[in-house]
Order: sequence, then structure tokens, then C-alpha cells
Amino acid sequence: MSLRTFILGLSASFGVAWLAIIVIPFFMMRDIAPIALSLSKDGAAGVFFPKRTGRIADGASVYAANGCYLCHSQVIRPTYAGHDLYRPDWGGLKNDAERGDTRRETNAYDFGGETFAQLGVMRIGPDLSNLGRRVEALHAAGKDPAAWLYAHLFNPRDNPQLWQSTCPPHRFLFDRREIKGRPSADALRIDAGADHEWVPTADAKALVSYLLSLKKDHKPPAALDFSPHKPKEAP
Amino acid sequence: MSSTQSSSTDQDALLQAAIDRSLRYPVMFFLTSGAAWLALALLLGVIASAKVHNPEFLGNWACLTYGRVFPAHINALVYGWGMQAAFAVILWLMARHSGRKCPDAVMILTAGHVWNLGVALGSAGILAGNGTGMPWMEFPSYIWPVLLGSYCVIVMGSFNQFRIHPQGRVAIPQWYIFAALIWFPWIFSTANLLLHCLPGHPVMAAGINAWYKSALVFLVFTPVALGAAYDLAAQVTGRPVSSDALAKLGFWSLAVIAPWAGMQKLAGAPVPYFLPYVGAAAAALLFIPICAAAINTVRMMWPCRKTFIAHPTLQFITAGITSLMVIAVTSVVLYLPDSTLPLTQFSWSGYGFDILALYGFFSLVMFGATYFIVPRVAGRAWLSNKLVQVHFLFSVYGMITICWVALFGGFQQGMSQENWQLPWIGVSAVTNPYAVAITFAWCLMLFSNVFFCLHLILMWRSPDRLRAHHAPGEPAPAIPDHTAEHIY
Amino acid sequence: MSSPNKMPFFKDAYHMSGAQRRVGAAAPASAVDGRVDSNGTAPVSLGVLTVFGVVVLIAGGILGGAGRFFDYRTMFRAGYERIPAPGEGDAQPPPKAALASYMARGAKIYAAKCIVCHGPEAKGDGINFPALAGSTWATGETQRFAMIILNGLQGPISNGKSYGAGMPSQAAGLTPEDVAGVMTYVRNNFGNNTGDIVTVAMAKAALEISAARAKAGQQVTAAELTADHRKALPGPPLDPTALVNPITLTPVRTSAPASAAPKP
Repeated sequence: MSLRTFILGLSASFGVAWLAIIVIPFFMMRDIAPIALSLSKDGAAGVFFPKRTGRIADGASVYAANGCYLCHSQVIRPTYAGHDLYRPDWGGLKNDAERGDTRRETNAYDFGGETFAQLGVMRIGPDLSNLGRRVEALHAAGKDPAAWLYAHLFNPRDNPQLWQSTCPPHRFLFDRREIKGRPSADALRIDAGADHEWVPTADAKALVSYLLSLKKDHKPPAALDFSPHKPKEAP
Repeated sequence: MSSTQSSSTDQDALLQAAIDRSLRYPVMFFLTSGAAWLALALLLGVIASAKVHNPEFLGNWACLTYGRVFPAHINALVYGWGMQAAFAVILWLMARHSGRKCPDAVMILTAGHVWNLGVALGSAGILAGNGTGMPWMEFPSYIWPVLLGSYCVIVMGSFNQFRIHPQGRVAIPQWYIFAALIWFPWIFSTANLLLHCLPGHPVMAAGINAWYKSALVFLVFTPVALGAAYDLAAQVTGRPVSSDALAKLGFWSLAVIAPWAGMQKLAGAPVPYFLPYVGAAAAALLFIPICAAAINTVRMMWPCRKTFIAHPTLQFITAGITSLMVIAVTSVVLYLPDSTLPLTQFSWSGYGFDILALYGFFSLVMFGATYFIVPRVAGRAWLSNKLVQVHFLFSVYGMITICWVALFGGFQQGMSQENWQLPWIGVSAVTNPYAVAITFAWCLMLFSNVFFCLHLILMWRSPDRLRAHHAPGEPAPAIPDHTAEHIY
Repeated sequence: MSSPNKMPFFKDAYHMSGAQRRVGAAAPASAVDGRVDSNGTAPVSLGVLTVFGVVVLIAGGILGGAGRFFDYRTMFRAGYERIPAPGEGDAQPPPKAALASYMARGAKIYAAKCIVCHGPEAKGDGINFPALAGSTWATGETQRFAMIILNGLQGPISNGKSYGAGMPSQAAGLTPEDVAGVMTYVRNNFGNNTGDIVTVAMAKAALEISAARAKAGQQVTAAELTADHRKALPGPPLDPTALVNPITLTPVRTSAPASAAPKP
């Protein structure tokens, strides 16, 4: 086998795979076309654009830098790939007051505003695709969802329901400072000693804003609606 | 043997020795700094793993939060130890096979220091909170060009040394090493360019990252270790590779199959539907090249097993090849879509598999290579067989524990994850025994590595006094045959 | 035996002890090295090939489930429909009477959107906002009512009075279920009692008609309403006592179909 054959063989064997599964899909998915909604099928006009409100880019970088993706996933798999959709509060809410069962799979338009989808390495903690929805509807139950998240990040095991949680304490995301005059509006309800309070840092605020934006149960367009109860087209 | 033959044999051995001497500083540097990074990576691994079952451990240190210490551990293991051990072996093997001395030790050493600096800055960056959040690529985004540049300088000489024998025959180790030299920059620059420099779809970026992880393991670390295993087994036992056809099949099947693997991590995610299936199929097919190489290597060592059972290099290579067989079977079993993949996709199996490949196969073979190469480049024998045996035994114990985690822990965890009626806090509790096992395994390996580091550092001392007293041309003094005692 | 064609320093028949004696002083470690010769010619055994064949079959099985290769635009399995959780079956909310469900939805929308101007009793304030209670346009033809809601209204209304700039369009954010609900609610509440339901299908038709208007995007005027929209929205009627899914407002199949005609 000459050097030329060797190099050619190596380049071909690697290059074909490299093109087929890396380069081509990268460039094709870059320009993924938004799905147009139609009045008759979807009941609305325009384009399917799952809107996310919050500091997504900043918060995503805090999420990434602190390794949340190592224990939490952010992908709801279709039923042929896993049982994620069967959990009552992962893909959405099973019993939403207004919309009923809002659970759905993750689709390609769900990571708007992020550069790297934190699909996750392991699931030691629950999936976070709909964490915003979960905190607002279930955990915070009427109270401030941001306050619940700040308390959770400070020390997850302070919550009696999560005493077995292995989520690390993120005290470094908070500042302990003296109360000057009135306590701060963001202050955590955690004892910080006399005349002191725990206040979230900018990183904590960005992270919580990002976490609360995690709501991926928007009504999908007909093309991405795999529900067996999808209304069939009018005869 | 005729006198001409014996003198040309002597000439060969002297040439070999000269090559080894020229490589002394680069190879020793990469192995020693690699071993130091390995010790650090193992320490970080112990801390990270302890935090999974004991979250309050060192809980007040921002830089040691699990989300930072674990990426630092993995990146130090891969780039600090893995790549540097690979450099040492690449330099030595390529120089030996081409029959040329080390081209430019000073340049290589400088580039090696730059590599170390890059890894150090990167690890510090991760611990300080500047990680990028991309698994195995968590170094801050300014580090990768530094690493790529120093890589090119380090291997340029070896690249140029690659020679095809006039008859067109290339030794098997050379195929693997040369291929790894081409694959690494291709894989590394693709992943880093597409993820850091070009805007793309976020989910596809995650896919490319998963591919990068798999490609680094199977197209860089595996070929380097396979090349070393083939070469060292041949050199210690003095036997040829048993089947040329199998060796060719092994190499080319690796080259064709491995680039397609990796995307199975994205099953169920919104990527083109066929990609995870192709990845899973390729992962299963990797059984073929792995097995081919393992069979060939074992056949080489098998007839000599009674003579060489205590030879450290062969011990480590055998342990490495055993891990390789486990990897082959695991690769088929873990990633079957629709049956086992949903269970193992987000479980300890991924980590266990990575560590099996990085430590169980690659590192054990590199240890074997170290025990072989260092006496030759440093010109002195290892100090004590006992140190080597401690290193070997504890590494093997650690690897068996990790194996158990990968194979059983992952499935257990996956099954409780898929049981949707079980509240999540119960699922989370299933991970704890396996986290304890991993902490235990890393402790064992850290313990073994302390001996390895110590032993290696002691080899930096000047060469055996025996050599210094013999000038070339004088008749060699009678040397008692101490082969049984000295660790060569 | 050594052969000149082999790589120079890899020789066969290498006597370790002899070499060590000759070379030991200069290179003690290298002296014990064996040789790497040309590779053996043993063929690949049949057993090994069989095992490889099994693995190839497994991989082939995996690839068989991959759908069309290199189809980069399909992200999900072809023909995928969610399989409900075993043992749970249909996790649908219990069906309720149609009128009550529509009214409940309408009440929510009214409280969110209409109440600020038209008041809690739909009486308006007499000056700026007209009353919906007792309004002929609200209780009359459904298409006319729908056009007002979706596009807004400018100029004089049914009683001849004008209300400044008029009513802005309320279409933003309203799903067909919302439109159907609020129309049904206004028509059956505040003293109005038409007794009929504006169904989701009718609301969808209304959205289409609204988009197809010549002056789509602008407020309607009384003239246009009279000329073009004095008709009922197309769509089959819905019995107010029929059972519907309270969330989607679609009729639920009953186990004993009383009527012969299949429900939509």
C-alpha cells in the first residue's frame, strides 16, 4: 500500500462521513425554514415561533459555565425514544387549567436565543425543558416563582420535599451583605445573621430569568403536532 | 550467527539506542507532565464523584462546585494526560519505525510547554466559571487555537518521518499512529470551528459535540493505543503479528466505521431522524475493528504467556486489551435504539463507557508503553517491580468497578428513569450507590497513580552508572545476566 | 534469518543473551528487544468471521429503523403519533355540556379583553363605549358580530351613534376557540338569550372570511357590515346540551350514537 493509497483511503473514509453527518446537516439546519401556520389547520396565521421571554443568552452562559447540563437534560423525547412524555410535568402540564394536556416533544424551534442546546449529559436531576411552567404552576403555587428558584439554587436541601436532592448548593451565586435601610426586594428568606441579607448576584438573576423562560409546551403547528387527539381536518 | 550479522545487529541496536537518547527529553517531558495531569484529573474526579452522593462536601468553594470540577476533571484527563501520553508514544514509535532520530527536541519541548500552558489556563478557566458548557470542549474558547498550534509543532517532525518501506510495506503500528496524526487535527478543528466560530443550529451543535467526543476516543486515542499495543507486544515477545489480513481488516474497518459513530447520544432530539440511528449502528459495528486488533494482539502474546506474565508492559497491555473487549461488547449492547438506548442515554453508562475507553484501554496501554519506553530513553532501569505491581493492581481494581457501573449502573438508572410513575426524587436516589462506587474507583486509581508518578519522577535521575564507564571501541566488560531482575 | 529487504534493525533470530553481552553496556534496555517482522499470514478464522457477521446483522437491524437515509429535513419518525401511556389510556378531561363549556371560555376572554371597555354588565358607559347587552349587532347574524370583534369598528353603530375612533381589532392572540367562546358568551349572557352556540368551526370560518376581506386589516364600517356580512357563519350547528371536551370545545363521541349523522 503506497503512501498515496493510504492517504486517499483515509481521506475518503473519513471525508465521506464528515460530509454526510457533520458538514451537510450543520449548514442545512442553520437555515431551517420556519413553519407557516394556516388558519384552517392551526387556527392562527403567521409563523410558528415559540416565544421566550427572559435573559436567555446571559442565563444560558451561566447555566453552561456552572455545569447544570451535567445532571439535567433539556429534551423531551418522542414516545418511540423514551417515556419522557408520560411524566405529568416534563413535556408540559398534564392538567393545565386552560389548555388541558399541553405536553409535547421538543422540536427544532425550541432553542431560540441559544447557541448550544444543552440537551444534557445525564439525568440525575429532572428534565428542565418546562421548568418555568413547572415552577409557576406547581412549585411556587401562586407565590413568586423567582423566589422559589433562588431558594432552590441557594440550597436545594432546604426544601423539605427535596431533602434527598443531590443538586449542589450554589451559594456563590449570592452575596451576603448588610441591610442598609430597608431590606432588598430580591433578598432571600434565609437567615443571614443579624442585619445581613442574602441577595442574588447578576449571575443568579440571569440564570433564574433563563430558567423561568424554559417553557416548551406552546401549541405546535399541525406539522409538528403528534397528538392522537389532534382534531382531524373538517370534512 | 555470522560476525557481519552480529555487527549489523549491534549497529541496529546502537542506532536504536541513539534514537532513544535523542528522544529522552521530549518523551520524558510528555510522560511526566502527563502523569502530573493524570494525578490532578484523578483528584478532581474523586472530588466530583464525592459531590454526587455528598453534595455538601466542600460545598462552600465556588470553584469546586460539581458543575465546574467535573468538566475540569474530564478535560484534564483528555488533554492533560491523554494527549500528552499520546504525544510521547507517537514521537517514540514514529522515530523508531522510521529509523531516524528525533528531529528537533527543543521545538517539541517548547510546544509541549505551550500545550501544558493551554491546558492549565483552560482548566483554571473552567474552575473560575468561564467554561463553555460543551462536554469535552469546556475550555474557554480562546484555548483551542493554542492547543491546535502546539499540536502541529509537536507532531510535524513525526509526520515527516513517516516512511514507506521500499517494498511498500508499512508496519501496522505506523498505520495507526499516522492515521491518528491526520484524524486529530481534522476532528479537533472541525468541532471547534463549527461550535465556536460559525453560527449554527443549537441542536446540531450539540450533535457535533457528541460526534467529537466519540471521534476523539475512537479515532485518536484508540489508534494510538492500538499502535502501541501491537508494537510493544511484538517487541517484547519477539513474535510477528499473527494475521496480516486481520490487521488490515481491523485498521480499515476502524477508519471506515468510526467517523459515523457518536450521534446516538441525540436519539429523540430534533435532529435529522436517521443520524442517531447511523451513530448507533456505527457504534455497534465498532465491535469489528476492536475485536480484530484484540485477537491479533492476544495471539501474539499467548504463546509466550508463561514467560512474560510478569513483564509489566505485557501485563498492562493485556489488561488494556481486556478492557478493549469489554468496550467492544458494551458498544453493541448499550446503544440499541428502541431497547437499550432510551435506558442508557442519560445515565452513568455514558461516563462509564468513556472511562473504560480513556482509562481502561488507552491509559493502561499507555502505562505499559511507559514502562517499556522510559528505560530506553532514560537509559536506566525502573527501580522496583513492587511499585509497578501496586500501580497495576490498583488500576485494575478501579477499572473493574468502573466497568460494573457502566454496564449495570447505567441500566438500573435508566430503568428507574423510564418508570414514569416513580417520582423523580426516587429515581435520583438510584444513582447514589453507583456514585459511591465511582468515588471508590477513582480513589483506587489515584492511589495507584501516586506510585506511577513517583516512579516516573525518579527516572529523571541520570542514567545508570554502568553506561558511563564504557567507552565505545573498548571490549565490553562481562555483564552478569540480570534480565530477570531489571525491569526493562 | 535476516534478509536485506527487512527494516534494518528488526532482525529475526535475535539472541537476547548474545546481544546483551555485546551491546549491553551501551544500551542495556534495547538489547533485550525482540523484533517486529513482516506480518504473519494466518487467515481470518471462520469463527471470528461468524461473530463479525452477527454484529453486522445487529447493525443492519439498527439501520433498518432509520427511515430514509440522508433525509435531512425529517426530524421525527415517519407516521409518528404519540402512544399514550400504558394503563392510562385517554387522559382527557371529563366532557361537559357544550353551552356551559363555551360560556366558561367566553367568560374568561371577556374578563381579559372586553370588560375594560364594555364594562362588567356589558352596558358600556353610554359615552365612549356602547352596550353589548341588548345589542342587535351582537345578537343578530353571527358573521357580522364576528367581523366586528376581529377587525374593530369605525363610525356609527346600529343605533346611529359614533364612538370616536371606534373599536380596535381584538383578533390578536385569539384562537378560534376563544372567538367562539366569547361570541357565545356575549350572545347568551347579560340579558341576551339567543340560545345558540357559535362553534369552533364557525369561528375558523370567521377568521378566514376576515382575512379575505377587501379591506382586510382595517376596521369595518356599518356600511360594509350591512352590505357583506349580514349572514350566519357557515358551519353545522351544535346542540347546546351535547357533550364537548371543555378544553378544545370539540364534540366528544358518545358511546351510543343517538343521531345517525357522524359528528365532525
